[in-house]
Amino acid sequence: MTDTNPNNDNEGIDGSGRVIGTPSSAGGDRLVAAPADPHEEHEGAYPAAETHGRPEEMQRRGERLASLWFVVAFVAGVLFFVAYFWWNSAEIADPRIGQYSNMALGGSLALALFAIGAGMTVWTRQVMPHYEVGSPYDELPSSPEEKGSFGDFFMRSADESGFTKRPLLRRTLLLAMAPLGLAPIVLLRDMGPLPGDVLHSTTWRRGMRMVVEGSHREGPSTWIRAEDLENQPGAMISALPYVEPTEEHPHGLSLNDQAKAVILLIKMPDGAFKPTMTEEQLGWTYNGIIAYSKICTHVGCPAALYEQGTHRILCPCHQSTFDAADGAKVVFGPAHRPLPQLPISVDAEGYLVADGDFSSAVGPTFWDAERGA
Amino acid sequence: MKWITARRRHPLAGYVVVILALTLFGVGYAYLAPGADRAEAQTLAAEATADDEQTDYALGRDIFTQSCASCHGDAGTGSQNAPDITDAGAAAIDFQVSTGRMPSMNPDAQMPRKPPAFTQDEIDALITYYEAEIGSGPAIPEEVPGTAPERADFEDEEAYEAAHAEYEASYEAYLDGAEDVEAGMKLYLTNCAHCHSWSGEGGALTDGKWAPELHEASPRQLYEAMVTGPGQMPVFNDMTITPEEKQDLIAYVKDLQAEPNAGGIFDLNRIGQVAEGFIGWTVGLSLIVACAIWITAKQRAHD
Amino acid sequence: MSRSTQAPKALRGAGNWIDDRFHLAKTGEKNLRKVFPNHWSFMLGEIALYSFIILLLTGVFLTLWFKPSMAEIVYDGSYERLNGVTMSEAYASTLYIDFDVRGGFLVRQIHHWAALIFVSSLVVHMLRVFFTGAFRKPREINWLIGVAIFTLAMLEGLFGYSLPDDLPSGMGVRILQGVMLSLPVIGTYVSMFLFGGEFPGHDIIPRLYMIHILLIPGILLALIAAHFMILWHQKHTQYPGTGRSNKKVVGTPMFPGFAVKAGGFFFFVFAVTVGLSAFVQINPVHLFGPFTPTSITSGLQPDWYMGFMEGSLRLFPNWFDINIAGYAIPTGVLVPGLVIPGLLFGGLAAWPFLEAWITKDKRHHNMADRPRNAPVRTGLGAAGITIYGLLWVAGANDIISETFSISLYALSWFFRFAVIIGPFIAFMVTKRICLGLQRRDRETLEHGYESGTIQQLPSGEFIEVHKESSTDTVHVLQSKEPVERIVVDADGVDDNGVESPEKRSLSGGLRSRLAHWFTKDNISFEGVRPHSGHHLHHGGHSEETAAEQPAATH
Repeated sequence: MTDTNPNNDNEGIDGSGRVIGTPSSAGGDRLVAAPADPHEEHEGAYPAAETHGRPEEMQRRGERLASLWFVVAFVAGVLFFVAYFWWNSAEIADPRIGQYSNMALGGSLALALFAIGAGMTVWTRQVMPHYEVGSPYDELPSSPEEKGSFGDFFMRSADESGFTKRPLLRRTLLLAMAPLGLAPIVLLRDMGPLPGDVLHSTTWRRGMRMVVEGSHREGPSTWIRAEDLENQPGAMISALPYVEPTEEHPHGLSLNDQAKAVILLIKMPDGAFKPTMTEEQLGWTYNGIIAYSKICTHVGCPAALYEQGTHRILCPCHQSTFDAADGAKVVFGPAHRPLPQLPISVDAEGYLVADGDFSSAVGPTFWDAERGA
Repeated sequence: MKWITARRRHPLAGYVVVILALTLFGVGYAYLAPGADRAEAQTLAAEATADDEQTDYALGRDIFTQSCASCHGDAGTGSQNAPDITDAGAAAIDFQVSTGRMPSMNPDAQMPRKPPAFTQDEIDALITYYEAEIGSGPAIPEEVPGTAPERADFEDEEAYEAAHAEYEASYEAYLDGAEDVEAGMKLYLTNCAHCHSWSGEGGALTDGKWAPELHEASPRQLYEAMVTGPGQMPVFNDMTITPEEKQDLIAYVKDLQAEPNAGGIFDLNRIGQVAEGFIGWTVGLSLIVACAIWITAKQRAHD
Repeated sequence: MSRSTQAPKALRGAGNWIDDRFHLAKTGEKNLRKVFPNHWSFMLGEIALYSFIILLLTGVFLTLWFKPSMAEIVYDGSYERLNGVTMSEAYASTLYIDFDVRGGFLVRQIHHWAALIFVSSLVVHMLRVFFTGAFRKPREINWLIGVAIFTLAMLEGLFGYSLPDDLPSGMGVRILQGVMLSLPVIGTYVSMFLFGGEFPGHDIIPRLYMIHILLIPGILLALIAAHFMILWHQKHTQYPGTGRSNKKVVGTPMFPGFAVKAGGFFFFVFAVTVGLSAFVQINPVHLFGPFTPTSITSGLQPDWYMGFMEGSLRLFPNWFDINIAGYAIPTGVLVPGLVIPGLLFGGLAAWPFLEAWITKDKRHHNMADRPRNAPVRTGLGAAGITIYGLLWVAGANDIISETFSISLYALSWFFRFAVIIGPFIAFMVTKRICLGLQRRDRETLEHGYESGTIQQLPSGEFIEVHKESSTDTVHVLQSKEPVERIVVDADGVDDNGVESPEKRSLSGGLRSRLAHWFTKDNISFEGVRPHSGHHLHHGGHSEETAAEQPAATH
């Protein structure tokens, strides 16, 4: 138990009023302070005029108090072990028990630590003398002689080595370093692929059906039909393209693909679209159902907060606001571009399908995001 | 400036500045915050009390004319300050009235959750009248457990306890009946958490509106909110999110809310990082600084 | 009471063994006698040091179980609520630490609380150094190291926050990637290289893990060691007081007094951190759920130290976004994400040199300035705090909006204006307060303090008795260094009507104008004699008003 050590130390100095481990050279040359007043009876390492000893009565009280703290720390330390072994590791998996385990372990540990701190503080404040010792600041700049000597030495040696005098040597050495200096940077090349056009396209292809994100439905009910939404103004759902599940991705899409392909499907009330929307944009909707990328064009949070009354799509991260009734134009906040729109239509069986990829690059605006893909 | 310069060292100047600042803050807040609906809905409902003699229809009609028609119109077609409710449906009425949002005194402000003005029987009567005379829409999901019974609605303790136990059992059965944790979680996190937060604590909307917290909402109220889309909330009907999926979703959020905090009794309302930072500075750092002050506090040179 | 200067045998043996090899007796004693000034504000840096030690200890514990892997698995562990959920191994192993390792939950919470306290103590330590002018010659290098530590600590915290792969942590990474993408030309390359492809990919957590547990802590450790060694060599600054001067530092010696104090303080820091971790839940990743790039939660925030960046990202509008020949430069992301932090840290780093350039002060400073005695610096500090604080609060504007039902947009607009106007107000108010305090100091120095005793003179007049201040107070009050007021008028001609050669160059003119601004409101203490003996105060302030004249002309 490490907790008891300070306690023992404390007992070790019982009555002596002296701190253990005073350097053996204590009587030797004093680097710091002025010589002590010879008339003053004092046993410490520092001049008595600067270290004001405590009355014996106070020291004794301090010792008792500090020891009490150390005993408290010891008991709390023991309690920590009790708390550790009280519950086994299977039991703490239940948060109802885990909560108590956490509080018992942490509470006992905090008490033990605090009690040691408190004991040590009482020790310095009531047992040890009160120190206010003076010590000179070092004179920082070297003397002119020292500086001169150094400079002289350095230049002589440098000249002797030939580095200053023989430019060919110097330049070829620098030349030799150049490729080696670049090597680490080149070695990082394989950290990732070049971007190419990959940020401009997503999984969506013409005719691709959609699924409710997170749903594990089976059979035909997997796919979203137009009638699921078209009679329900104010409806919204977060959706993904339907892709046959694979061994690697049992839910169809990798996270990378999900991160770009996810859409918000919104059914707007009749006549809600603003006249500023282009024919093309309206053509990408189906019976009032409109699909926008869910990924904010600011820094890429899912901008999912759709208010059905105001038709605003708000990004909860930085409050970029897009008008769902106006091609997801930015109406407030820091986003740069409107949310890309996904052209949708309905297939012969009544399922909603994509009519191609997004109208523009998905996600945070990057250098060539506004260049047509 | 001269005037201020002459007086700024007056003993009362500090207080004046503080009072001015507080006033400014208060006025600014009152101006920016939309008036909350603080009026007690009970006053509206005071006259409509259940009478054994009346049929449900008649009771419902009384409630409707006294508490609803003034805004929503006698035929429920709405007015300038209230929407048309002819296609709202029983689920919407049950949701709005059982969460105390309706009847409301202040149609402009967002309606916070309040103790309901009517008992469940009165709400049922209102719905009977609504379905007979006003309109139709999403039905109440009867199989989803609603609000817990109130002691006041029962004559004796035994009947209340029996009803309560029955309610608890149906509540547990509903949550336990959810099969797909992952679907519930994903549906909640992709469609709900962006407004109501990961903890169901709620969150900010535009224009000073907010998405309410979900702690007090019963499973049925959550279900009804999804199918009716109250306020700014979008609609999640039974085709986009099936009843089983809704059960998964409701079970996810209710289980999450019921779970004790494994990390200690103070959960900071599960607000998250803002509250944690605040505590770190105010409690953590100031306690440590207090210790530093103790350690270094000046002591008399000679004791 | 026996006096023994002989160390116990065992200790002597060990000491001799070491000294035989290193010749340490003299250096050892000198260092054990090193003096530490006694003031709580000198302990702030220690909080950071101890928090860092706690972070290292708990961090090592966490690495025993944490798996920095983004491989997707279906959770089948002992935390029942999430059984059957698909998640990354990183998240699952975090759940393992929380629910299968006894004390694991506690240690993870200690690690997180210690991180919050680490950075906040860095900030208050830095503010203390700034406001007392302790960054001045010869301590500029240590200030720079401090700025570097602060910057790295923020990054370290951000990366650590990103490791468990829970919902908010993944969103932090997403925002980081969004900021990277906004870089002109190289943005997409940087992002693809760091993430090993597109977001989120499978590489980012292992890479951040390496940076978080090896690279940055290593650099931090080296910087902290250097910071500490320089401090040790140059010694602390100290507040003015009796017996203290630029040549002599007064305080508690390292051994035994300060060693025990500092040791006790370590236990206090540890205790508070553990106490918070025991009872206040922090970052409950098991409740957030695993990260998916398609989900989001309201009230999403980074840890507090990234709050000012979050706030600037929220506030900065898209009005300056430009598009050059089809290529986008989203200043709405670039400025708050990179320029504002760059200005903040760049400004902090440059300040000691700027101030020395403006004031032409080449002297060594070991005495701490009282903040009031450097009104312009203190005012600028207050302005900086105001900008930082407003941006920080703006990072929580959704929480404020929800809590107080204030419109989000109105709040954003308020903050946009406040961030611009606020610092000016803060500067002026702070400077005024400083000058007011200086005047009061001078009055106290000259007339003693107001004792509160009212006496009636034989003539019937009532007067308040002023008493002599203590020697210590007089020393503190007299610590204000004389300031040479630099006056420039419109023509760049000084007090004596002589055009200084410096003003002919552009930077020289700027410098002298800044120097004028820096010193124009000086309240002179010259010729003020400390009050001694009882002095009857008659309420006349004639001397003071005369001395105030130059200040009042502006």
